[in-house]
Amino acid sequence: MKTASELNFGERAIISDVDNTHPSFRRILEIGFTPGQEIELVNSSAFKDPLAFSLRGTLIAIRKHEADCIILL
Amino acid sequence: MNTASLEKLNLITLVGPPNSGKTTLFNKLSGKNYKTVNYPGSTVEYSTCKIQSKFGIEADVLDSPGIISLNPNSPDEEVSVNSLYNHPEFGSPHLVIATADASQISRHLLLAKQLIESDFNVIVAITMNDILAKRGYEVDENKLAEELGCGVIKVDGRTGTGIDKLISCVKPKLNPDEKDELKNPHKVFENIDKEKLLDLYREIERIEKIVIVPVKNITEPNLKKANEKLKILNPTLKYGSNRPDERTLNIDKLLLSRRWGLIFFFLIMAFTFTSIFWIADPFMKLVDELFGYLSTNASSILGQTWYGDLISDGIISGTGAVLVFLPQILILFLILGLLEDTGYLARGAMLIDKPLSKIGLNGKSFVPMLSGFACAIPAMLAARTISNRRERLLTIFIIPLMSCSARLPVYALLIAFLTPADKLWLGGIALALIYISSILGSLIVAAFINKFNKRIINASDTSSFILELPAYRAPKIKNVIRNSFENAKQYIYRAGPIILVLSMVIWFLTYFPNHSPEINTNGLSHEEIVQMVKAERLSTSYAADLGKFIQPVMSPLGMDWRIGVSLIAAFAAREVFVSSLAMIFKVTDSSDLQSSILLAMKNAVNEDTGKPLFTVSTIIGLIVFFIFAMQCLSTLAVSKKETGGWRIPMLQLVIFTSTAYILTLVTVNVLKFIGFS
Repeated sequence: MKTASELNFGERAIISDVDNTHPSFRRILEIGFTPGQEIELVNSSAFKDPLAFSLRGTLIAIRKHEADCIILL
Repeated sequence: MNTASLEKLNLITLVGPPNSGKTTLFNKLSGKNYKTVNYPGSTVEYSTCKIQSKFGIEADVLDSPGIISLNPNSPDEEVSVNSLYNHPEFGSPHLVIATADASQISRHLLLAKQLIESDFNVIVAITMNDILAKRGYEVDENKLAEELGCGVIKVDGRTGTGIDKLISCVKPKLNPDEKDELKNPHKVFENIDKEKLLDLYREIERIEKIVIVPVKNITEPNLKKANEKLKILNPTLKYGSNRPDERTLNIDKLLLSRRWGLIFFFLIMAFTFTSIFWIADPFMKLVDELFGYLSTNASSILGQTWYGDLISDGIISGTGAVLVFLPQILILFLILGLLEDTGYLARGAMLIDKPLSKIGLNGKSFVPMLSGFACAIPAMLAARTISNRRERLLTIFIIPLMSCSARLPVYALLIAFLTPADKLWLGGIALALIYISSILGSLIVAAFINKFNKRIINASDTSSFILELPAYRAPKIKNVIRNSFENAKQYIYRAGPIILVLSMVIWFLTYFPNHSPEINTNGLSHEEIVQMVKAERLSTSYAADLGKFIQPVMSPLGMDWRIGVSLIAAFAAREVFVSSLAMIFKVTDSSDLQSSILLAMKNAVNEDTGKPLFTVSTIIGLIVFFIFAMQCLSTLAVSKKETGGWRIPMLQLVIFTSTAYILTLVTVNVLKFIGFS
């Protein structure tokens, strides 16, 4: 089971599910990380965390820990 | 009177996600007359205004803080959401205008849809249509209105296009007849479960497919040409690409690159930091001189009476103490506003999030911490953007350790005492060392408190960092300037009264009871008499009593009551330490204050021991004290307001001041032990 935190830079993937046991899952969904959406890891900070994903035409930065709850197809 | 007129007026609330053009629309509706109000008992801020009379509607407009959904995610968001239903001052809105970015429609319709399903009376304002048009698409207003079952208007808050249409859509909704049919908005989205949320998104995605259509009639020739070119170059261009605009991605390749990102970050921060000081410096001197001039004039007009002294030394100097930091605060907000408007600030927060999260802070802590180098008060207000309560409290907690500019005059004097006239460059190094120790000190304190956070900061939220990185764009200078002035005004309202009252209290303590002492005036000039009277009055004042009371605390530091009094006076504002020393050591020559204080300091003798009072060890000790001590009463008052209780400010006072004392004690005695007098 691959999560968004395991993507390589420039790699695209489709979200299959969001882990609803994660404390931030609701905000992750609300900001647009929903099943069926294509995301791409475009950037990260120099410390490799947080990660910046392109999603629904914008860039969203989330921590690795939060990217872990986004499950990919 | 006031509340009655408020009740009569209709209330329109603007609601929208962050970066959805909500505030731009608000500015267009309000013109210039708006005010910022706090939600009672909290830190959530609202702007409110009456709609400009040219639009022909009598209504109050409320600009609420940006939210992503009606399901709150932090204490501040909870306040924002609850007040949508029923604002304690304004009541519930007759109409909600929900803003949504056309190029972000699938994300931004979430909130609009939630508002509609909660039975609010909603009009959706679609913003940023130009960005979508550049991609060759537009929103079909009629179809969207049909799907949502509410009014939908395209607006451009910057040019004003569509505002008239919006107003004509608002007017009938505020009709008394229609208002009676209003349903009561109710909460349906609190702790919404995953499936419901996904259903909502599926519904929005279905609507999105219907309402986003290729641009039919392009009237603007340039755009038309660009569009045709785009379609020829890329015939498969379709809506729904997940990529943000190319320009933003390209700039990010540089500014967020793993090699250069941090270097750019530090360069930008260094620029911000130095301009706070260098650009503001001449203006601060101007303010200082102006109030010095007013104060001198007032005392020469009113003479040597207690009320003359109250006005010149208490009120005018006190006002000056408030206003002297205004240039720095204005410049700070100006630069931060520019950085925010271009889209860089969110990226700065992202860059620095990892190291700060290690010590219990958040990437969003860095702006408040940076502001702390100008003044702790606006810095604490800036901490409101941190959604996690524990991280926000910890940020507020360490802000007083940032070397604020009120400490500069103190350090300047103390360093001047230490540096030989032929080695002035040493002073610069000393100052840099002081700033570095202040940053290190604050990080160590944060790490330490993070370890024992349960006992000190009573809040546990799961830490998170979810932030939209907005597309880069040219800043709207007018709005930035306007916001800077608004923030500066907030500083004056908040800190002004406190600093003023404290200055008066300190004035009272240093003036009474012996307000007109008898002195031997033989052979003295008028100037000298004035200074002698001041010195005599101070040494027999309540402040001196207080100083003598704390003498036992000062002795182990090798200092006496006179430094103690100055340290007490510095609670009004740290830079008062310098003028207080000048008074105590009977400095008469006011034309070159610093060198005469230095001379007086070199000649001063400790009244207990008979040895020189100011030595290398006591001066370095004083510097250490100023780095750590929580001396600013206005900061404490703001800290109380921002944290909602006396717990945090009292802990700051006790922990920082006792740390300062212990470190000073250690420094002075170690220095003495290794041979510095």
